[in-house]
Amino acid sequence: MKGEDFTTLTAACAKCGMCRTVCTLYPERKAEISVARGKVTLVEAAYSGRDGNAEALQEALSDCLLCGKCERECPNEVAVEEIIMKGRADLAEKLGIPAWKQVVFGKVMPSAGVKDAARTAAAASQKLFLRKMPTESGLHYRFPSAFGLSGRTVPALPGKSFLGSLPPGEAVRGEVILFVGCVFDHVFPQVGRAAYETLRLSVKGISVFRDAPCCGLPALVSGDRPSALRCVEENVRRLSDASPERIVFPCGSCLVMFRRNMLFLLPSGHPLHGEAVRVADRCVDYASFLLETDVLSRLSDRPKGEWAGQVGYHDPCHLSGTLGKGPEGREVLRRTVGDSYSELRGAELCCGYGGTFNIRDYPTSAKIGQNKVSVAAGGGTAVIATACSGCILQMRDMAARTDPSLRVVHIAELVSQAFSSR
Amino acid sequence: MRGGLVLSTERMDRILSIDEENLVAVVEPGVVTETLKTEARKRGLFYPPDPASLKFCTIGGNIAECAGGMCAVKYGVTRDYVRGLEVVLGTGEFVRTGVSTVKGVVGYDLTRLLVGSEGTLGIVTKAVLKLIPLPEAAATILSFFRNNHDGSKAVVGIFGERITPCALELMDRTAIDCVRENAGLSIPEDAGCALLIEVDGPKQSVTGEADRVEQACRKYGAIEVGRAADVEGRERLWTLRRSISPALRRVNPVKINEDIVVPRSRLPEMLAFLGDLASRKRLKIVNFGHAGDGNIHVNLMISGTDEEERIRADEAVAEVFRKTISLGGTISGEHGIGIAKAPFLEMEVGPLGVSVMKRLKGCFDPNGILNPGKIFVEEGVVNR
Repeated sequence: MKGEDFTTLTAACAKCGMCRTVCTLYPERKAEISVARGKVTLVEAAYSGRDGNAEALQEALSDCLLCGKCERECPNEVAVEEIIMKGRADLAEKLGIPAWKQVVFGKVMPSAGVKDAARTAAAASQKLFLRKMPTESGLHYRFPSAFGLSGRTVPALPGKSFLGSLPPGEAVRGEVILFVGCVFDHVFPQVGRAAYETLRLSVKGISVFRDAPCCGLPALVSGDRPSALRCVEENVRRLSDASPERIVFPCGSCLVMFRRNMLFLLPSGHPLHGEAVRVADRCVDYASFLLETDVLSRLSDRPKGEWAGQVGYHDPCHLSGTLGKGPEGREVLRRTVGDSYSELRGAELCCGYGGTFNIRDYPTSAKIGQNKVSVAAGGGTAVIATACSGCILQMRDMAARTDPSLRVVHIAELVSQAFSSR
Repeated sequence: MRGGLVLSTERMDRILSIDEENLVAVVEPGVVTETLKTEARKRGLFYPPDPASLKFCTIGGNIAECAGGMCAVKYGVTRDYVRGLEVVLGTGEFVRTGVSTVKGVVGYDLTRLLVGSEGTLGIVTKAVLKLIPLPEAAATILSFFRNNHDGSKAVVGIFGERITPCALELMDRTAIDCVRENAGLSIPEDAGCALLIEVDGPKQSVTGEADRVEQACRKYGAIEVGRAADVEGRERLWTLRRSISPALRRVNPVKINEDIVVPRSRLPEMLAFLGDLASRKRLKIVNFGHAGDGNIHVNLMISGTDEEERIRADEAVAEVFRKTISLGGTISGEHGIGIAKAPFLEMEVGPLGVSVMKRLKGCFDPNGILNPGKIFVEEGVVNR
């Protein structure tokens, strides 16, 4: 990326400080450098040649959750996330991927009392976990060897991935394509399965995107532009050729990669730009698609009583914020669990995961995340439902640490449950 | 600027006390203005200064700049709420100024000297602030006029009714046009000026005052008058004003923002001058601001890439300042002098004024280490 491209992006910043009022990280850091205004100022300085400390800039740009709250609050619509992601990629090319991502596999200390899907993995299963992850998937960014930090609970890797469990002839053609995403395929295949089964009820046929490359988001936020580019190019090429019109995403992070971030990598002028825009337009979140099909009207006898008001919806930063799909997720829940649904206290608070941020600074990520689930539980919620793989990974870990009775699920799991118990 | 250090007090962010008997708050400089306002409100108290940046600016900054805001027209500015300070001077010495009581005339009023000194005299480490009872009710009126002339006559007319609104904002035609589509309000086609007026006080008096404000607007030619007394409705009317600053870059990317003040009776004359100046200098000038106290934000919107246009803009700024002073006004109501206006300091305060100020600066900061290059013209500093 050239200096003048950055100048265009950063020139819109009036340095007003509105970003600081919504920054997820600022209350933890209390430092200007953690805020978009500070980062934009540093990027400007670096690219205008006033300050050439690339290591310090890399450090500053790494210290961000990419929750995007600043960008949405910004009166001048500064593309903060684009600036940070592109800056990380530029610096990685210049300096290499930061050292904190290249860590030696560590010993995992299992912590007791942790149940359900968020079980502590012993070192052996961790090794297995890492070995079993396809090298081409984005999961090795989500779970690098640094994942073995003590005290952390990691999901046990199931025997089989969701796509691996599908018979070869199944789900090869249909009206829609399901883009499962790495986490819902390999780590939480029950979510992939639930999304698949419930979509199957709503349309005549459904095809899954087999051997799908990663969406590319983990690589992009890590500053690994070549890998991210490989992912999006292959995705665009393959999906351009696929005939079903709609591409449905159970994961909000994958979706924002397709609907927005992909175009940072394939800007206008790139040979694949036109195709990328057309693919992006076909991508839709799970909840919106389900509401379009009206399949939920078949759930006329919604359960009453038992869970009254204890199921809430967590807003994934990008799905609800950037893509504005908060109401759809809630509506699906309302129509699925009836009066068990009520608004989650602090629904819009970021879970603190931030992809690579969680690896970089686990204590801070955990502090933000534990506050998130504590606020929700304090409001009487027993089940947090959401629609993003990163949020689910983080909130299950955080629930295990603070309140093991708190369940964290994908909305598709509740929809699937409602249909099977009907 | 010539290297140096930036000193931030943002982590000194504790409200040390709110004394509900003496209506005084003691705070550290890093307290965010809105936080103090909210804490005061919880106790039925009011800390009035409300700069537009109140969500992220701090009391320390407000004191250094003597921040104003929308409600200055009725409640005054930061200076009017600072009773005492703890300050570290440029020598490293630690000084306590002022009092925590209503009255106090012991020696020189160093507190008022420090408020608005732009960080050139000392670093505030603690402040004793005055609070007042929270007004019971408020009502907001939005009225549109055909032109600035009618609008600014109405401003004067409202005070003629012996009403002091707690906010009286004016927006000119260019400002209205910036937000016409995005403010979510229906704006009359021929609106060339808008006034946003708020009155507050005891419930029973607010309705009557709002009625009289509406009458005054109509008397001076308002083409449409709207009113809200509930929080949501008032907030909706305020969106018009709040959307302007962010929308300005639609006019042109670079903003030269001046904040002159004239006696409010001279507003019609000042606004007419600004309209004429824009066409004479072929510049886009957007005017809006706190007209109730005569404070107008004059925004010269330029491309930033055209040097010839930049020169015309610089000439226009000098003309605006000369006119302001000739009308009995001041060249900055709340933004201060800083670097950009340093060359104009003498225009308003005269050579002796500058000299006295410099001598004072020498007492507080003999080594000139506090915010060098600000307020006074210094060699090697580009004042732009």
